[in-house]
Amino acid sequence: MLEIKNLKARIGDTEILTGLTLTVKPGEVHAIMGPNGSGKSTLALVVAGHEDYVVTEGSVTYMGEDLLGLDPEERARIGVFLGFQYPVEIAGVNNAYLLKAALNAKRRAQGEPEVDAFEFLKLAREKMKLLDMDQALLNRGVNEGFSGGEKKRNEILQMAVLEPRLAILDETDSGLDIDALKAVAKGVNSLRDAERAIVLVTHYQRLLDYVEPDYVHVLSGGRIVRSGDKSLAHMLEEKGYDWVREAASA
Amino acid sequence: MSTATIDTALLERAVARLPGDSLARARKEALARFATTGFPTTRHEDWRYTNLTPAIDVSNAWLRRTATGALEEGSDESVRRYAERLTAQINAWWIVITNGVVQEESLMRLREQAPGTLEARSMASAGDAEPVGHSSIAADEPMTRFNTALLRDALHLTVRAGSELEKPIGLLMIDTANSASAVSQSRVSIEMQPNSRAEFIEYHASLGENVHFANVVTELHVGSGAAVDFVRIQDRDTSHLQVGRLDAAMGRDSSLRHAAFDLGGALIRNDVAVDIAERGVSVELLGLYLAAGQQHIDNHTRADHRTGPAASSEEYRGILTDRSRCVFNGKAIVHKGADGTDAQQANHNLLLSDKAEIDTKPELEIYADDVKCSHGATVGQLDKTAMFYLRSRGLSRDEAAQVLTRAFAAGIIAKSPVHAARSHIEGLVDRRLQVLVGDAL
Repeated sequence: MLEIKNLKARIGDTEILTGLTLTVKPGEVHAIMGPNGSGKSTLALVVAGHEDYVVTEGSVTYMGEDLLGLDPEERARIGVFLGFQYPVEIAGVNNAYLLKAALNAKRRAQGEPEVDAFEFLKLAREKMKLLDMDQALLNRGVNEGFSGGEKKRNEILQMAVLEPRLAILDETDSGLDIDALKAVAKGVNSLRDAERAIVLVTHYQRLLDYVEPDYVHVLSGGRIVRSGDKSLAHMLEEKGYDWVREAASA
Repeated sequence: MSTATIDTALLERAVARLPGDSLARARKEALARFATTGFPTTRHEDWRYTNLTPAIDVSNAWLRRTATGALEEGSDESVRRYAERLTAQINAWWIVITNGVVQEESLMRLREQAPGTLEARSMASAGDAEPVGHSSIAADEPMTRFNTALLRDALHLTVRAGSELEKPIGLLMIDTANSASAVSQSRVSIEMQPNSRAEFIEYHASLGENVHFANVVTELHVGSGAAVDFVRIQDRDTSHLQVGRLDAAMGRDSSLRHAAFDLGGALIRNDVAVDIAERGVSVELLGLYLAAGQQHIDNHTRADHRTGPAASSEEYRGILTDRSRCVFNGKAIVHKGADGTDAQQANHNLLLSDKAEIDTKPELEIYADDVKCSHGATVGQLDKTAMFYLRSRGLSRDEAAQVLTRAFAAGIIAKSPVHAARSHIEGLVDRRLQVLVGDAL
């Protein structure tokens, strides 16, 4: 589904991804771990199409299509979703309005009829219930005045409504209390099926107790230095990232 | 640098050709006073960024024709259709002023429908000798003198003491740009008697392909305890010119909420001046201007706090693209002895093009001790992070920009008074933003 080969990317003069290779198949959950500054968020943003990052080498293929040639909105409409590490507050834009516009943009692109307000509200309420979210948040400005936990739940709500094929969640677990973490995990798990792939970018092993990954990769210096199953995450938790760095340079 | 001035000899001849009605003496006096100053020039601090040469050129050409030819009634079929469409969209008691002339049939309809607590009359038909009900607040402004000198009619409204009007009063000032009506002088004077309440919609429109210059003067006398909600919507053809002012004199414990929406026009200059000489006054001024192409929109506001306690607050927002240029100057003057004054000013601008220009200057002059004042201005672009966030959810670049600009504009619309006009304003702003965003991206 997602094939990243020898990806190099820079922002300004700084090269952040230095030759990253990763293959994700339908139905799989991958965890990308690594210390701060290792390039985890950059990977997520490059796949979603952030224009500040310049890809200098390598390729990103999604369902056989060259993803790097597409605008962010085109990527979204063919099923790529990025859960933001820092969801953006947009005062004056209604949360429900954005959700519905996003859903209908995708449906139009896929040749499906748009949903009307009634169908949309039914769907949104159902998903909010699953995430244990306050329904009042639908009528607020996008993330406007939301708590940290509410923002992250709102990202998962968008994901649940949009039902992407490939979801990349960038540190969705950071800063969450245990209840919010469980709600987020529940939302992610509800989306797991044989057709979908999920990439969890995370600093800690905590989320992986609730969303069990098939593969764990360790990112260091802009590339993957080690891959394994979930036991790798436990090793990291025990020994810290220095252990990976030593192993990588050894 | 142009040194264009109004040709006073032509102006005299044009004034002489106006009907010898009751307003003749007021015109003659204003003419004499106007001749000593002419139009304001960019040498005046208040007019530094707005050059009225295009308006002077249109005026001189029109004066030349008028001095020799006949004045035509500009009312035609397109005006009638415009008025019908608008008055069906906004539920209000409408008075139509075409090329500065109050349309008698709209007055008759108003008298049938509106309660007797609202009096409306056309000065020309009533045979009044002065353009306003009582002393004009801004008679000494050059553009007001020009207005009076060429006045063909004026509307005077009175809202009786203690009455509350259940519907807004709509003032449709519509001009037709043809050779005989290339310049119009509209004049309205509103008297709110003590403890009365009313809402107003002042709507500026102009039709036609030719050049046009409108000079609008509105005066508002707000009696003690009276409350006024007022929106001004300017939706002229983007080739037309306008200078307009609102002068408000506030009585004790009175209030004014005013919102100005500038969507059209090539060269637009608006002045709002509020005089607070009594205690307990509350004034809120809001504004939204949208400019594309080579539009030039200048908003000047002034609040004179002569006594306290009283509060004035002001927030104007602008969205600019292409090579448009906008000016904002908000001045609050807290005079000696006006203790207990609370004056707030804010101006925020969104620039969608690097060739667009905003000159913004919130100003405070404080001569009293016990005051609470603040002012601030911002100029920015569309937030890149928010754009990426929206696009990553599937919205196109255009849609994302429209969502963000609409949200920025909504900050003013949501606070704006006169609920009956709200959805119409939203529609106008949305349509205009589509043009702005389409041009910018």
